Amino acid sequence: MWRSRMPWLALLLVMLALAGAPWWAAQQPFVLHMLVTACVLVVPAVGLNLMLGHGGLVSLGHMGFAGIGAYVAAVLMVDARWAFGPAVCAAMLAAGVAGGLISLLCFRFRGHFFMIVTLAFGLMLHAVMNNWDAVTRGAAGFAGIPRPTPVRWGDAVWSFGPLPHFYALALAMAVIAFVVQYLVVNSNFGRSLAAIRQDERLARSRGVDTLLYKTTVFAIGTALAGMGGVLQVSFLRVAAPASFTMLESINMVLIVIIGGAGSLAGPALGALLYVALPELLRLSNEWRLVIFGVMLVLITLFAPKGLAGLCARAWLRVWPPQRDAPASAKP
Amino acid sequence: MTEALLEQVINGLMMGSIYVLVALGLVLIYGVMHVVNFAHGVLFTLGGYLGHFFFSQCWDNYWVATLLSMLSVGLVGYALERGVFRPLSGNLRNQVIASLGLILAFENAVIALWGPNALQWKVASTEQLVSLGELRFSVHHLGIIALTMAMITALGLFLKHTRFGTAIRATSQNQEAALVVGIPVQRVQWSTFALGSALAALGGCLVGPLFLVFPQMGDVPLVKGLAGILLGGMGSVPGAVVGGLILGVTESVSTLFLPTDYRDSIAFMVMVGILLFRPQGLWGQRVRGEE
Repeated sequence: MWRSRMPWLALLLVMLALAGAPWWAAQQPFVLHMLVTACVLVVPAVGLNLMLGHGGLVSLGHMGFAGIGAYVAAVLMVDARWAFGPAVCAAMLAAGVAGGLISLLCFRFRGHFFMIVTLAFGLMLHAVMNNWDAVTRGAAGFAGIPRPTPVRWGDAVWSFGPLPHFYALALAMAVIAFVVQYLVVNSNFGRSLAAIRQDERLARSRGVDTLLYKTTVFAIGTALAGMGGVLQVSFLRVAAPASFTMLESINMVLIVIIGGAGSLAGPALGALLYVALPELLRLSNEWRLVIFGVMLVLITLFAPKGLAGLCARAWLRVWPPQRDAPASAKP
Repeated sequence: MTEALLEQVINGLMMGSIYVLVALGLVLIYGVMHVVNFAHGVLFTLGGYLGHFFFSQCWDNYWVATLLSMLSVGLVGYALERGVFRPLSGNLRNQVIASLGLILAFENAVIALWGPNALQWKVASTEQLVSLGELRFSVHHLGIIALTMAMITALGLFLKHTRFGTAIRATSQNQEAALVVGIPVQRVQWSTFALGSALAALGGCLVGPLFLVFPQMGDVPLVKGLAGILLGGMGSVPGAVVGGLILGVTESVSTLFLPTDYRDSIAFMVMVGILLFRPQGLWGQRVRGEE
């Protein structure tokens, strides 16, 4: 009876624990810092999970689109003095539209060709960020990006300067990303997407407008990447081209795959592991990435559903489905 | 102007030759295994580092170091084919993802072992100059072009006129049919993978003395090699050669008219532009149902 509600109960507990982090980790700002970093990674990872896990589209230029969002928001907030909220919306719109248009070019290619062309577009976007000095301030980075302006409500003021306050914003954005993912996956659109991933030709013959659906999911995914880019630059207070390189795009794929592509919780597991593992192992950054690379290979070899899949399997082992459950007793 | 043009064309041919070495490995591996090895760039880097290591630690001879590096990277390629790519055969997405994992693992292992800073590799041929009219090039520049041309010719003859070369071509055309007529497909696959890896290592050893040896040295050749094989037509050996050279010369000549910062992007724009009108590449044929 309560078995079917367990996932929701677990989700509630996890959310309570995360929302309570500023209190239980009050003595360790470091933990909070790690959680914010994980949120910054999770938002674009959810976008990529929609494309890669649910739609089957492997994009190797994802962080290029996060860069579009980041720089659009940076220019709007610094040069045009926009507030944070409208800047985020504009950044998501810009990244999503750019993603949709570029994906239309990429969809002329299939399989390997598609991945290579997305990689090429990611590199071109990075080259623009690195070299268009007049707007992006070039390789030195775009410094002086403000934190969101304080929110006033009566006498109370909520400024985003202190880490716990910024953490609330980051967590809220991560939750929004997951809600978007949940809504997309559990809609008719999401089911058609799954059909396209499993067999594109069959889906088309059943009347699914595959090009429209693939373009749409690409636009949603890149818009989420743009949101993650804004979150990142307003956290670091600088937009640097080095955050949006090919290697960062590859890291994003790795987070999604290690977490479990196509599972709802996968991006969160992947991002948390990505941030927490080096601290647990007390290793230098290089060895962390070596271990992650090897893990990625091992996961593709032995656990294609990632950590989320492993957790689900362990769960079934601990609580095996009961044979005399009411569901199976029905005729 | 004509001199500047000539200079850029020779520079472009030199860089194009490096791209061709990478593209040839990629295209041979793609042919027999139907996998794009995104980790080819780190094999290039590994080749450069091993060449530098053998040169500075063991023998003070450039060619011996290069040969040893090619051999060791060939062995690494063999291990990767047996350990990673063969078990994943048939699953395109997982092969690509595994090769992304290999990129991270190798690139950061190189940083952990040799440090993040660039290493200098002093070879005499980069100091000696040859003059062509009023232009001067190092022997190394011209040597890279000559050596690559020789490699291409040798590879062409090998593929065309030897038993094993024929087996490689047969496997590329139709794996099942090759198996039916008794070609040892698995042996063809691992040896092609090793051969392709050795070609990448050769590329790394050739550019190492010119532009230093550093952990990201393989990134640009990898993406240019990928662009080259797409441009030439996936699976076509002459296409890979022409595609790589076109990219090298185009980006070099473009620096005469446009800021050098955009050099890398121009190569991609050329690639995307050509592919929009000819998605199968210059040499490729469209195969029904081919991914």
